[in-house]
Amino acid sequence: MKTWHWTALGILTVISLILEFTLLADYKSHWWNYIPGFYIIWGFISCVLIIYVSKWLGKLFIFKNEQYYDR
Amino acid sequence: MIVDLLLIPAVILIIGGFILPLIPEKIRSSAFLVFPLIALSVVWQLPDQYSLSLSFGNYELVPVYVDSLSRIFGVIFSLIALIGGIYAYHIKDLGQQSSALIYAGGALGVAFAGDLLTLFVFWELMAVSSTYLIWARKTEASDKAGIRYLIVHIFGGGLLFAGILWHISDTGSLLITSFPDVYTPASVLMLLGVCLNAAVPPLHAWLADAYPLATVTGAVFMSAFTTKSAVYVLLRVYPGWEILIWFGIAMSLYGVVYAVLANDIRQILAYHIISQVGYMVAGVGIGTEMALNGTAAHAFSHILYKSLLFMGAGAVLYSTGKSKLTELGGIASKMKVTVILYMIGAFSISGFPLFNGFISKSMIVSAAGDAHYEIGMLLLILASVGTFLHTGLKLPYFTWFGESKSEITVKPVPINMLIAMGFGAFFCTLFGVYPTLLYNYLPYPVEYEPYTVYHLVEMTQILVFTFIGFWILRKKLEGDRYIALDTDWVYRRFAPQFRKVFVNATDNFFDKVEALILTLAGLLTRLFKNPMQWLNPFTDSEHQSDNYSPAMEVAMSFILLTFVIFALVYLLF
Repeated sequence: MKTWHWTALGILTVISLILEFTLLADYKSHWWNYIPGFYIIWGFISCVLIIYVSKWLGKLFIFKNEQYYDR
Repeated sequence: MIVDLLLIPAVILIIGGFILPLIPEKIRSSAFLVFPLIALSVVWQLPDQYSLSLSFGNYELVPVYVDSLSRIFGVIFSLIALIGGIYAYHIKDLGQQSSALIYAGGALGVAFAGDLLTLFVFWELMAVSSTYLIWARKTEASDKAGIRYLIVHIFGGGLLFAGILWHISDTGSLLITSFPDVYTPASVLMLLGVCLNAAVPPLHAWLADAYPLATVTGAVFMSAFTTKSAVYVLLRVYPGWEILIWFGIAMSLYGVVYAVLANDIRQILAYHIISQVGYMVAGVGIGTEMALNGTAAHAFSHILYKSLLFMGAGAVLYSTGKSKLTELGGIASKMKVTVILYMIGAFSISGFPLFNGFISKSMIVSAAGDAHYEIGMLLLILASVGTFLHTGLKLPYFTWFGESKSEITVKPVPINMLIAMGFGAFFCTLFGVYPTLLYNYLPYPVEYEPYTVYHLVEMTQILVFTFIGFWILRKKLEGDRYIALDTDWVYRRFAPQFRKVFVNATDNFFDKVEALILTLAGLLTRLFKNPMQWLNPFTDSEHQSDNYSPAMEVAMSFILLTFVIFALVYLLF
C-alpha cells in the first residue's frame, strides 16, 4: 500500500462524511442513522468480528487435519 | 403439438445434449454454443402467459408456463449456458459437454415448469447430469465427492417428491401455486427438498464439498444452476414464509464464517454462494413486492458475477494446477487479464457502485429495512462486509499478490476462457451502470432507485473500512492447512456405520431371504413330488409319482376340467 492509496481512501471517507452531514442531515429512516458515521463503525466492527469469531470457532471445533476423512 | 414440445427451451438444450455425440469433434464446441443461443431466442420470444397443457391420466400437465418471473430466470440460465460454453470451448470431453447442456436444460425446465411433476423430472435431471461434471475431474477425491453429491441430491429429490405426492392427495392438483404460510406435511416436505438444493444449512454441505472438486469448467455451470433454480422455486411457491427470513440471514452469515476458514479458493467461492443465496432466501421470506423483485434481480446478478468468479478461480487452477491459498501467491504479473476480470466479479459481489451486485443486493437489504426487520438488515450488511473481505480481498490477495509460498509454474490461459470472462465482466458492469435494463423485466413494477446519496455514502463507508480492517488483520486471514468440518461430517464420518446399516444389512437381509426361499422351494418340491405319500397315508410307499397312479390322474383331470369350464363360462357370458 502506497501513500496515495491511503490518501485516496481518506478522501473517499471525507467525501462520504460531508455528504452524510449535509445532504442526509434530516434522513432518519432507521435508528442507527442517528449515530454519525455509523456505517464506518459497523463496517470496521463487522470486519474484525468476522475474522476473530470465525477463527475462534475454527480453533474451537471446526478445524481438522487435512487427512481427517481419509483415515 | 410436437413442434410446440420441441420448442420448449429446456427440450432444445436436452436434445442438444443428445445430438452433440453425433457431431464431429472439431466443430462440437461450436455446436455447443448453438443450442443455448436458440434457447435464449425462444425464451425471449415466448409471449407472457404462454402455456402448454397436456393431459396425463386424470391430471393436467403444464410443461411450459411463461411469466415475467420465469422469463428472467430463463434468460439468465440460457445466457450463462452460452458463456459457460465459451469458457469450455477448448475442452474435448464429450461427456462433460453433453451433461452440461442437459444440466442447463434441466434448470430451464424448472424455470418454465407449470406443474409439479414436470418440475420434479427436470429437478432430478439436473442432479444426475451435474454429478458427471464432478466425476469428469477423474480423481479419487472427485469420484467420492460425486457419489456423495448424488446421494444427497437423490435424498433431497425424494423429500420433494414425497411432498408433491402428499400435495396431490390433499388437493388433487399438480399445478404450481404459491403456498400460504401454513405448515402442512406436504408444504414442509417440499420446502425441505427445495431448501436442500438452495443449500440452506444444515442441508448445504454438499455444495462446499462438491464444487471445489468439480472440473474447471463444470464448476462454472454448477455455480449457476442448482441453487438458483431452487431460489426460483422458493420465489414461486413460498413467498412470504417468515421462517425463510431467519434461515436466509443465518445462511448469509454461515457462508461468511466458513469462507474465513476455507483454504481452497473454489471452496471460498462455494461458501459465498451459500452466503449470497442467503440474501435471496431472506428476500423470499420478507415477501414484499420489493423483496421479491430484489430476490429475482439478485439471482440474476449473482449468476453473472459468481460464474465470473468461478471462471477466474478455474483459470488459476488450470494454469497453475493449484487451488489452495497456502500454495499460491505472487503470480499476478503472470496472469494480469485474469486478475482484472476476476476483480470485476469481486467488485460486483461486494456491492461496489457501478457493478451489478450493488443494484440487486441493496434492494433486498432495503426491503428488509422497509419491512422493519432492522436487526436482519444490519446482519445482512455484516454478511456483505464478509463478502468483500473474502471474495474481494482475501482471495485475490493471497492468490495473486502476497508472497509466493511454493514453486509455481503458470501455464497460459486459453483465450476462450478469457473471452468468456470478458462477457461475464461486461454484463456485470452493464447492469450495474444501467439497472433499468434489469428492473424493467422484474416480476413487479420497480419503485426503487439504487443510486441515492444514502446508498452511496453507506457503501463507501462500509467498503473503505472493511478494507482498512483487512489490511490491519491480513496476517490473520492467511490460509490454514486444515479442513473445516461441516455438516457433511454426519454422513462422511459415519460412512462405515451408514454402510453397515444401509448396504451390508440390506445385503444380509436379502441373502437370508434368498436362502430361506431356496430351502422352502426344496422342501416343497420334495413334498409335492408325490403328494399321495402324505395325502393318503394308507397307500404303500411303493406308490411313486412316476408310477401309474390312477387316483391322482383323475383328481388332476377334474380340476383342469373345472378350470376350462369356468374359463369358457367367463369368456362367453
